[in-house]
Amino acid sequence: MSSIFKALADPTRRQVLQMLRAGPMGAGALADAFDVSKPTMSAHFAVLVAADLIEAEKSGRTIMYRLKMSVLEEALMGFAQAFGLQVTPETPATAARSRAKEKS
Amino acid sequence: MILDHPIRRALAVAALYLLTALALDELRLHQVITAETVQRLTGVLMGTVVILSANLIPKRLVPLARISCDPAREQALRRFCGRVLVLGGLGYTLAFVLAPIGIAAMLAICLLAPAVVAVAGVSLRCAWNRRGAR
Repeated sequence: MSSIFKALADPTRRQVLQMLRAGPMGAGALADAFDVSKPTMSAHFAVLVAADLIEAEKSGRTIMYRLKMSVLEEALMGFAQAFGLQVTPETPATAARSRAKEKS
Repeated sequence: MILDHPIRRALAVAALYLLTALALDELRLHQVITAETVQRLTGVLMGTVVILSANLIPKRLVPLARISCDPAREQALRRFCGRVLVLGGLGYTLAFVLAPIGIAAMLAICLLAPAVVAVAGVSLRCAWNRRGAR
């Protein structure tokens, strides 16, 4: 359950879920919609896949992402959207930065 | 673990529900709880089965290659069915919790039946359109 909250805590990830509501989308098309680097976007996708909120499926040379949210998870996302849920202020980029800081 | 397999887990849940129903009946026979309580708890039990099953409908994905219609429409249909049945199940459960016992069963069915009819209607229309497209 905590992985779901973690996934929903980030606005970029919530927007990815919002976009996938319209139907399956390719990784490239999704990444193009955001002003972040491809590795950061991949990290966001990985968090969503780990939380079992989206599913990645290889279709030819592209990876297609599909929404995989239960009704309750969708309701949770609605709440997160409405009240700006921010359980962890971490994004993959900030997490990597703080990990690097810890190491040094 | 024995519950890791989906069929085993489903069987375990079914056994749990049956045992609960038997336990409730036994408690009624020993006059620990009233017949009304048994009826209400059984209704709540059935309502939760509907809610829990419907909640997972949008999560059961078919591989893209096996979908014969537009994947976006298939996803929308799945989400619609899940939502409608969860609401129907919620209505069914609440009817057994809150309504007077004389009308609880009828009210519960009146709340769940439209959801089932809507899901059946949408599914049939989708199947009909798919047949027409072939």
